[in-house]
Amino acid sequence: MSLWVDKHRPRDLMKLDYHKDQAVRLKSLVQQSDFPHLLVYGPSGAGKKTRIMCLLRELYGSGVERLRQETMTFTTPSNKKVEIMTVSSNYHIEVNPTDVGIHDRVVIMDLVKNVAQTHQIDSTGQREFKVVILNEVDDLTKDAQHALRRTMEKYVATCRLILIANSISRVIPAIRSRCLTIRVPAPTENEIASVLQLVCKKESLNLPSDLAMRLAKAADRNLRRALLMCEACKVQQYPFTSDQKIPEPDWQQFIRDTATMILSEQTAKKLGEVRQKLYELIIHGVPPDMIFAGLLKELVRNCDMAMKCQIASHAANYEHRMRLGNKPIFHLEAFVAKFMAIYKKFVEESMGDVF
Amino acid sequence: MTNYAKKEKKWFKPMFDFDEGEKLLKKIKTNTQTHKKHENIAQVENEISDTNSGEKEFVIKDHKHWMKTFEPVNVEDLAVHNKKVQEVEDWVKTVSSNNNSDILLMTGPVGCGKTITLQVLAKKYGVRITEWITPVDIDIPSENGEYEFKQRQSVRFLDFLLNAANYTSLLDGNSRKLVLVEDFPNTFLRTPSEFTEVLLQYQQRAKSPIVFICSESHTDNKNSASNIFTPSLKEQFNIHHISFNSVAPTNLKAALKRVSNIISKKHTAVYNCPTADVIECVVNSSAGDVRSAVLNLHFACLKGGSKQNMDTSIVHGKETKSKTTRKKKSSSSKFMSLGKDESVSILHGVGRVLNPKVIETENGNKKFTHTPEDIVEQFISQPVSFVNFLEENYLPHFSNIDHVDKAASALSDSDLMLAEWREKMCQEYGLYNAVASLMLANKAPVSAWNPVRGPKNMKIQYPTVRELRLLEENYLYKGKILVSDYQTYCKIISNQN
Repeated sequence: MSLWVDKHRPRDLMKLDYHKDQAVRLKSLVQQSDFPHLLVYGPSGAGKKTRIMCLLRELYGSGVERLRQETMTFTTPSNKKVEIMTVSSNYHIEVNPTDVGIHDRVVIMDLVKNVAQTHQIDSTGQREFKVVILNEVDDLTKDAQHALRRTMEKYVATCRLILIANSISRVIPAIRSRCLTIRVPAPTENEIASVLQLVCKKESLNLPSDLAMRLAKAADRNLRRALLMCEACKVQQYPFTSDQKIPEPDWQQFIRDTATMILSEQTAKKLGEVRQKLYELIIHGVPPDMIFAGLLKELVRNCDMAMKCQIASHAANYEHRMRLGNKPIFHLEAFVAKFMAIYKKFVEESMGDVF
Repeated sequence: MTNYAKKEKKWFKPMFDFDEGEKLLKKIKTNTQTHKKHENIAQVENEISDTNSGEKEFVIKDHKHWMKTFEPVNVEDLAVHNKKVQEVEDWVKTVSSNNNSDILLMTGPVGCGKTITLQVLAKKYGVRITEWITPVDIDIPSENGEYEFKQRQSVRFLDFLLNAANYTSLLDGNSRKLVLVEDFPNTFLRTPSEFTEVLLQYQQRAKSPIVFICSESHTDNKNSASNIFTPSLKEQFNIHHISFNSVAPTNLKAALKRVSNIISKKHTAVYNCPTADVIECVVNSSAGDVRSAVLNLHFACLKGGSKQNMDTSIVHGKETKSKTTRKKKSSSSKFMSLGKDESVSILHGVGRVLNPKVIETENGNKKFTHTPEDIVEQFISQPVSFVNFLEENYLPHFSNIDHVDKAASALSDSDLMLAEWREKMCQEYGLYNAVASLMLANKAPVSAWNPVRGPKNMKIQYPTVRELRLLEENYLYKGKILVSDYQTYCKIISNQN
């Protein structure tokens, strides 16, 4: 049995639940039998991949759904072998180049070259090109992005690239200009609630509209998370009640604990303990920007307006540095230290006012 | 000593020879002139040192060989550790009795006494040493513009080794002999296979032991010892390997004491007798290198104008000592002008940054004993790894959160600069920024012993698709998404099904 998220994923462009206008445009895009390189971007859980798969199905027929997994090996210039997992059909191949870290350039160049050099055997009734889907393009190294730029132009005759990113601000302009950029905004809470209702109906369950709304709110406009939450709720308690507990992700709880630690005591020793917590989060793979956002959200709850502003500005500053730097922990720690310093001063001043 | 010098003069004639016995008639005039000059200098020396003029003649003659004067004569004089000497002695003993072509490899840092150990021991057992010195072979065309035919370097090397090993000198008739190679022909560095060939030939044809001496240095990646003498080669030819460490301070001190004894007995005209303090300083500044220690001692003890200079620099060093480590006996005083350049290991550097020592200068200003500039300059490994070390270890040294804030902010800046790997200066700036601001930020340091920890390995382990059941088999999940969305709920859903 598979998860609801996977089971009820729409497979046809016309069956999408929201952004219907965009779906029609996408359909007409592929009806011309050819399309440019695409750069699809939007927040996590908005439905980027779903739309791309629908698009490919429109283009190639149901053959794109016969997927197989394969591990490919590439050799870096320094003779190191890197392995990467790919999922492919006869018509397309999908890969997460960021899995190999700094060797992503090699993977991109070799992969695109491999795909582009093998032509379709029966071109009757088929397209002349294959599609390469690259995930998390905004996390690629600059080196890889520049390599991508060259490869894109060179093999345009035999392959199309579909790039997926969360935000295009970290995609180099050269790539942005070579692609048709398609924005997939996150669904609104109402849209999420209606999707949840739909899925529950398919599963022949009864979902109270209050709970649907609460789920949509808790999921942070992330449809994937909303569906997973909904299924988890069902497992925990069915029939649904409108005030039942919604489980939240572990890491959110963990970040909340960390924030409480920061608020409880502002010393160097405490900062050392907080650092261990941050390490744990990072090592478990929680993206540092999510840690940052989560921490800030929890911390500013206890601040007055002037301080909120100050903290948010510092957070923005350190978050930006984190994006440019190499070691997220440096910047997270610097932010926590800054908060501690400001908060301690604030507490001391208000204590002074009391007495 | 003089005997030795005479012997030398049989086959080579120094260009600038002041020795009266060997004086040529032609050169009399110039020689007397130089001699006069020397007397002048000696007179100046006399005024300072108040020694009788009878000794001065001897002093000047001896001056040329002052390095030789201090060389160890007996096995006991060696500054090398007893065990090592014993090891080499055993080898020399066993080898000098049989006529096999045994091979010994001696490695160690510069100036740890490899060559002298061998020489002293060879003398003890009456073994004659023949040493290979790579000839200068620059191609100079002959008059009609042709280049002379030259043998290959490796062939010449082999010929020399075989001759030295198999034929005894007519002059002394000593059949115990040993071939020494310290100076490797360049060709072997380029093609180590040629060296294997030479060794093979040597083993088959020669009848004397051979010793190879290699200096090791950390910075030199063309290290001859490890390049030429690969483990497989050592095994193939059954090479005995003795590796030396740099000389321990106690041994070095003992050796310098011996030198100072020699000075006080014979050479009071030229040298001041070194005090214990001076010896201490020399030991500290020479980093286990006997040769440079003796040279430094020589320089430090010379009579004359430099005396005052030296003293002040010693005093300067002592200031630090009295401030910081009075309880511990080990002093950190060093000559400012002598000794080797220091390089700082990572742990050392971390200590210097996180526990900065402040001294007061005469005019009341405060100043670091190790300035950030020094630390950055003396540092030899990757800036990134050093900054990581600092980041991991700085927190326990701080007591005030405001100071931590400054330090953490600076580290964040540094990471930003270090991320720019295309610009070389950025690396340096990043390192400097981290070092200087960590040193300055901490106004209220915690004094406690903190062991230095290595930076954490930040390898992210994403959950695999197999760990989380319920996922589609043939779907490409992103690691981040798995963690942030799927992980928790998959657990809940699969547990209760």
